Amino acid sequence: MYTSAKNVIQTITRVLGYVGMVFIFPMMLLTSADATFRDLFSRTIPGAFELSSLMLSILVLLGLAYAQQMRDHVRVTFLVERLPQKLGTIVTIITTLMSMSIVAILCWQGVVLALENTQVSDMLRIPQWPFRMLVAVGAFFLLLEFFFDLVDSVRRLAE
Amino acid sequence: MIVDPVMIGILGSVSVFILIFLGMHIAFSMMFVGFVGLYILCAFEPAVAATASTMWEVASFYPYTVIPLFVIMGSLAGSSGMTRDLYSSFDKWTRKVPGGLAVATIGACGAFAAVSGSSVATAAAMGTVALPEMERFKYDPKLSTGSVAAGGTLGFLIPPSIGFVVYGMLTEQSIGKLLISGVLPGLLLAGAYASICVLWAVLYPQAAPRDLEPVTWKEKLTALNGVKEPLFIFLFVIGGIYTGFFTPDEAGAIGATILLVVATVKRKLTWPALFSSLTGSIRISVMVLMLVAGANVFSTFMALSTIPVQAANWVTSFDVSRYVILAMIILIYVILGCFLDAISMMVLTLPVVFPIILALHFDPIWFGVVAVLMMEAGLITPPMGLNLFTVAGVAKGVRLETIIKGTAPFLGAIIVVAIILTVFPNIALVLPKMMGK
Repeated sequence: MYTSAKNVIQTITRVLGYVGMVFIFPMMLLTSADATFRDLFSRTIPGAFELSSLMLSILVLLGLAYAQQMRDHVRVTFLVERLPQKLGTIVTIITTLMSMSIVAILCWQGVVLALENTQVSDMLRIPQWPFRMLVAVGAFFLLLEFFFDLVDSVRRLAE
Repeated sequence: MIVDPVMIGILGSVSVFILIFLGMHIAFSMMFVGFVGLYILCAFEPAVAATASTMWEVASFYPYTVIPLFVIMGSLAGSSGMTRDLYSSFDKWTRKVPGGLAVATIGACGAFAAVSGSSVATAAAMGTVALPEMERFKYDPKLSTGSVAAGGTLGFLIPPSIGFVVYGMLTEQSIGKLLISGVLPGLLLAGAYASICVLWAVLYPQAAPRDLEPVTWKEKLTALNGVKEPLFIFLFVIGGIYTGFFTPDEAGAIGATILLVVATVKRKLTWPALFSSLTGSIRISVMVLMLVAGANVFSTFMALSTIPVQAANWVTSFDVSRYVILAMIILIYVILGCFLDAISMMVLTLPVVFPIILALHFDPIWFGVVAVLMMEAGLITPPMGLNLFTVAGVAKGVRLETIIKGTAPFLGAIIVVAIILTVFPNIALVLPKMMGK
């Protein structure tokens, strides 16, 4: 039950990452086109700027949990690895809980701040709140990734 | 209860380091401590709101698009087969030089660095091409792996460079100027690395057996074709930044688009290569921007605690030459670089170090070059040098100790270049100074 739920959630996390990374292409092409038009014909593409920053937010926030799954968020492990195994696991559990608490705040405040937000973008009048909501979405899946790590550590301790 | 902000700030700084060395993720430990600090110095509500809105602001800040764009530019360059062409071009020209293959490795790394922003990517890409070749000619593995690991660090100094982008973000300096300021010091460092290879081969000829097969002038001239492509992209992209035609973000986008077209036309772009370019780009971007988000929460707390100002006042009150303090900062970076990766090191130290540098009247752009040099040193210092592990992953059957010994002389070159830059700051500053006009 736990294993299959974990598999499903981790697959969703990966898919979110894949969705996020596809946005690199439009970002790349739009920015190139905008710069080329400006330099050659002194005209800009309306909203290129704000579209790029919204695409960046999709990419980064959807990738938050995926990067954790791939073990990309940097940490220094050489000291913990040298601790006695049991103590090392306890330390890891504590630090994981601390990370989870800050990610939980991101998730909760992500919802609060998104719902309060009424800003729209300057040129294209795109509402900002759905993108801000991605802070909560990214943090939610990141929280789950941390939870799986926590379960692994607790199991190691129980053995 | 009256809390002394400075005391809280010191406690906070110490706890970040403790948490990091206990294995907590660096980005989250900075965010966590930053949040707790804001809670103590302000209140709960503003602290939670500031944390979440910092995350949003970092994720949606337009100038940061440069990170995914630079990363994808580098990995598309790698999959377009550029590394092999570069290496064989340089080999044709340096064959007569003692340690020619190692010199060619440095040259090709430098040239690849001109289209790639990441040191690790440069070392990995060049390692797969250069190491088998040096093994074939029975090079001492210390020299071969050392030159690849060190050559890879050039990716950080020669623009495009993620190192300068992060420095620019954290210190609010012009990223364009920083990138341009890396060009001459990058060439200087490449020259210093190459001299070390030559010297090594002269002192220990058995470490670098000569390849005596002659190269005709015709071959040499044809070999220049391998350099054309990266040179064109470099001149276009970095030249565009220099002349003010593009911002660094636009330069990254245009460079990536050109490379995408080149790789597709040359039929070098496979689906797996494209997929790994994309995943690489999102993974590195998320990792870097999460660190920046954590650092921003932490520096909001630091600013409230007044530590950066106090530290700058305290340091400038010493009756010593500012160069003594600079030397101490560099020493701290060398030590931290042994344990932390390059980006984390900047993110952790700059909130306090940068105000000190400004208070000592050092040029912020010039210090950016020194900081990036120190990040490079951190990539090849044990036990946690990322390039050492990268090369160990590519060079099968070579022990990590061998690679560490091999990179040691190159570390000396970095320090020498840092000293030269301190004596002649204009090496870094002359190009960016001409930019504004």
